[in-house]
Amino acid sequence: MIPFFLYLAAGAVTGFHVYTLLMLAVLGSPVNPLELVSLAGSLCLLVAAYLSLFKPHAAAKLALLASLTIWCFYGPAIAHTVGWF
Amino acid sequence: MILPYLATALLVLATAYAAFASFRQQRDGSTATWIFPNGTTRSAQIAVGIGTLALFLALAVWLTIDARNSIRRSSRFLIPEGYVGWVRVEFQVNGAPPLPVDGGEYLFKFPPSGLLRTSSSEQYGWARDHYFYYSEKGARILPDTLPGGGGLIWGKINGEKSGSQGKRKYEEFFVGTERQFGEQTRGEQNVGSSAPATPVK
Repeated sequence: MIPFFLYLAAGAVTGFHVYTLLMLAVLGSPVNPLELVSLAGSLCLLVAAYLSLFKPHAAAKLALLASLTIWCFYGPAIAHTVGWF
Repeated sequence: MILPYLATALLVLATAYAAFASFRQQRDGSTATWIFPNGTTRSAQIAVGIGTLALFLALAVWLTIDARNSIRRSSRFLIPEGYVGWVRVEFQVNGAPPLPVDGGEYLFKFPPSGLLRTSSSEQYGWARDHYFYYSEKGARILPDTLPGGGGLIWGKINGEKSGSQGKRKYEEFFVGTERQFGEQTRGEQNVGSSAPATPVK
């Protein structure tokens, strides 16, 4: 059950976080396309959580792919926040 | 705000776990460990299925209740024929008449001054309201559209004002063409936001 809860928590929290950022568009904030990519990755992570109940190895591959997709947004965002560029 | 940090921490954990589980050697006869299980028991799968179903049901019930609470009775606003300017409804005014209900809609009949006072409370939620010019000859509809759609109702505001009689809720909107509304709001900006709007008949 560890992979299920881990993928579920990561997918739900990152998805909710990016969703709140996307909702700022209502106030006129520009939408970053990487946020949409990250949101898709979060959905894949949720799928991987349920897949892990039946096929843990396939779920791990899907989760890795989804995580890397999410990093497309979080990586540059963290680097920018830290001041690397 | 903890959400970005929590999201990053969970993402790091999920990435590391998924990478390790993906590239872990799947040897024949290798025993599953608690941290890398080969699968889950049937009972755990059923429990997760039931839990997910319960979550979706709770979400559906919550959304349904929320949607019902956000619907209110429609309102019909009757405005004197030819009136151009801001109209205002003041709610919960002691001694003022309550709002009548006609055909399932609250009836707001404005006097020539454009100010209507009522003892009724302000209603909140989604509803399709209707606006009319009225005269002795009858009533004609006032279109309520998006900008550029030729509407005659603009700038709806709900607010609360403190005064000598305590807090009083009010609703305001502008009756006129979009151009008149624009000119009126620009004029207000020039002279200051506290300047009262002057209705033009």
